[in-house]
Amino acid sequence: MTRIDQFESVFLAAAKEVYRHEDLDIRKALIVTDLADASEYRQRIQSFLSPLGEVDWQAEAAGSTVQEVLAAVDEGAPDLVVTYRNLQKGPWQHSLGSQVDVLTQATDVPVLLTPRPEDDWAGAPCSSVFALTDHLTGDARLVHYAVAFTSGDGELTLAHVEDERVFSRYMEVISKIPEIDTDIAREELERQLFKEPKDYIRSVRETLAEVGSQVRVNKVVTKGHHVAAVRGLVRDSGAHLMVLNTKDDDQDAMHGLAYPLAIEIRDLPMLLL
Amino acid sequence: MLPDLTHLSVFLAAGGGHHDVPLSTTLGFAGLLAAMIACLALEEKIHAKKSIIVGLFAVVALAAGTAFHLLPFGAVTNVFGEELHLPVYIPAIDWGVIAIILGSSLFVDVTSRSGLFTWIAIKLTKKSGGDPFKLLTAYGVMTVVFSAVLNNVTAMIIVGSLTAVSLDRLGRREKLLGFLLIEGLLTNIGGLLTLISSVPNIIVGNAAGISFVDFFMKSSPFVVVATALTIFMGAKLFGITGLKTEEEKAEAAELVRGFDENDGLESRGFFWFGAIMTVLFIATIAGASVLPVVKDLGLGFVALAFAAIMLIRFKAVADKFYQAIDWDLLGFFAALFVVINVMEHAQVLTLIGKGLEKIIDLGPALGTGAVLLAAAFFSSVTDNIPLAAMLAKILQSLGTPTDSALWWSVVFGANLGGNLTPIGSASTLVAVTIIHKNKLKLSFADFVVKALPYALAQIALATAYVLLFLR
Repeated sequence: MTRIDQFESVFLAAAKEVYRHEDLDIRKALIVTDLADASEYRQRIQSFLSPLGEVDWQAEAAGSTVQEVLAAVDEGAPDLVVTYRNLQKGPWQHSLGSQVDVLTQATDVPVLLTPRPEDDWAGAPCSSVFALTDHLTGDARLVHYAVAFTSGDGELTLAHVEDERVFSRYMEVISKIPEIDTDIAREELERQLFKEPKDYIRSVRETLAEVGSQVRVNKVVTKGHHVAAVRGLVRDSGAHLMVLNTKDDDQDAMHGLAYPLAIEIRDLPMLLL
Repeated sequence: MLPDLTHLSVFLAAGGGHHDVPLSTTLGFAGLLAAMIACLALEEKIHAKKSIIVGLFAVVALAAGTAFHLLPFGAVTNVFGEELHLPVYIPAIDWGVIAIILGSSLFVDVTSRSGLFTWIAIKLTKKSGGDPFKLLTAYGVMTVVFSAVLNNVTAMIIVGSLTAVSLDRLGRREKLLGFLLIEGLLTNIGGLLTLISSVPNIIVGNAAGISFVDFFMKSSPFVVVATALTIFMGAKLFGITGLKTEEEKAEAAELVRGFDENDGLESRGFFWFGAIMTVLFIATIAGASVLPVVKDLGLGFVALAFAAIMLIRFKAVADKFYQAIDWDLLGFFAALFVVINVMEHAQVLTLIGKGLEKIIDLGPALGTGAVLLAAAFFSSVTDNIPLAAMLAKILQSLGTPTDSALWWSVVFGANLGGNLTPIGSASTLVAVTIIHKNKLKLSFADFVVKALPYALAQIALATAYVLLFLR
């Protein structure tokens, strides 16, 4: 009954994910710092996040423990937490620090991870956003946040980077199955894997145009797994902000590429969802 | 109109035009035929393809027919008086039927690549706005039309696959069983619409000399009423209703909005070429009996010619399409014609004709109705193709006129009997396969219980239609 499967495949491919736009309402933000005086940092943040419009800024003072930060999040119920890596540890740690680790995993609140206050980071209004995922199709939440953080006439790059190692692993297995033509499988798998995010990005463009958004949407659909390659894509896009998913379905660890990227790319703000 | 029974009596007395055969020999071959039909009915149990089953019986029948000196060995003379030396089993095969099936299946397969049929299917899905009742109606009508234009197996595959995908997307999987069952039943209604919609139609229509247009004119009123009745019953019995609130309608419309009818299109040019060729194909088939040249070459030529034209698009990879041909079906037909030819020489068909004579003798109304019911019953438990081939051969031998209602009894009975059981027709079997593929439970008995009200209503309607309008 291969013909049943053939037609089912045709219809499954034709049943596409359509982006439905929702305006996010980010009204309350919690800034977590280890600074004695966070006013300058706060000003830079306010300037950077001006595309969000009116926001009620709250601050959690220096010296807070992880538990205190979590309690502040619970109590204040912010729509966004703003912080930087390695609170109370200094700039050269090759980790994000326990506060950030816990915030990204133990709460549902998005975390904006900025460069450290002492870094040379202008904090100009965010007009170019780079949203990165390995599964863009249907990820409306990622797009909602990416759009919300892009200024009205700014540029949004939606990037789908398929994990090359996983792809290679499957192709290696397929190459050992005599019933499957390896070349056709490679070509068709790659075509379909790339087609879905491309279709979704087209749907995002169409929907944003329908709701009157002026944001220009760029498309990056590729394979890769090295942090350096992603860094190159981000640099080429001229982005002011990266948006990433950080949660696995099982909530075990920071999602896929997100953790190494957050560690490595220290000079660019990242919105960790 | 009933056949002239005087002619029948002469035919039977003369042994169907063949030499005398001892009754014991005839009964022996009848046993062989019964065994073949039983094996076909148990095809799924014995895990053998139809072509293998009937092929083996053809080998045995040919060997036995030769051993008993029943077969007409010798040269065949054509209309120019030229003698042709052919193996005895070659003229036994109705090559016209084989050509129609081969040509039309190739044509449909290549045309499917244009995305035409899936485009229509998705367009209708979007037009329905995701409303379950509108979807049932759209898919029901589409099943009937596709069964008529393509063939009922391809129609079931296309509509059944789309049904599973779209109901899943709409979050209405609980209705999937009802949808698929109704579509399966409607394939056999659609299979009645034209002369080339199903194999029994081709066989009986060819034997009776019914033209494409005449067939369509006589069958279409029944098809329209039976389709409406089946959809209505399906909606009632499976509780498939329309959406009530505006919110429900908006949500369903949003969900079907994601279907992209253009996704499967290889190219716009090929899409339109496929659409134009499909219309031309149907028009040529419809006018085959009056078009110069075509009327001499027949429907098989038309089907093969259109298939060849469509294959130009894929000339470099045409072999892929040859691989996809249902060789099992073609082998089955070829072998079946051989078996039936041997049975004819062994006087088995004459013997069955005597039984049929008794049924026809019941009277113009009762006899015609009884033939329809008997054909429906037998086609529900075994393949309707051998049944149609055998009955067509017998009616032809009886000199049954083209306008006789008996031909229609065989056509309606053989097609609609397929709705009584899941093994009654290839398309209901496909419906059950899709049901099982979607992890829904439906046993043989479940199918019979669920399908029985529809099948009985359709057969009753057909009987009334044949008796009131075609007699």
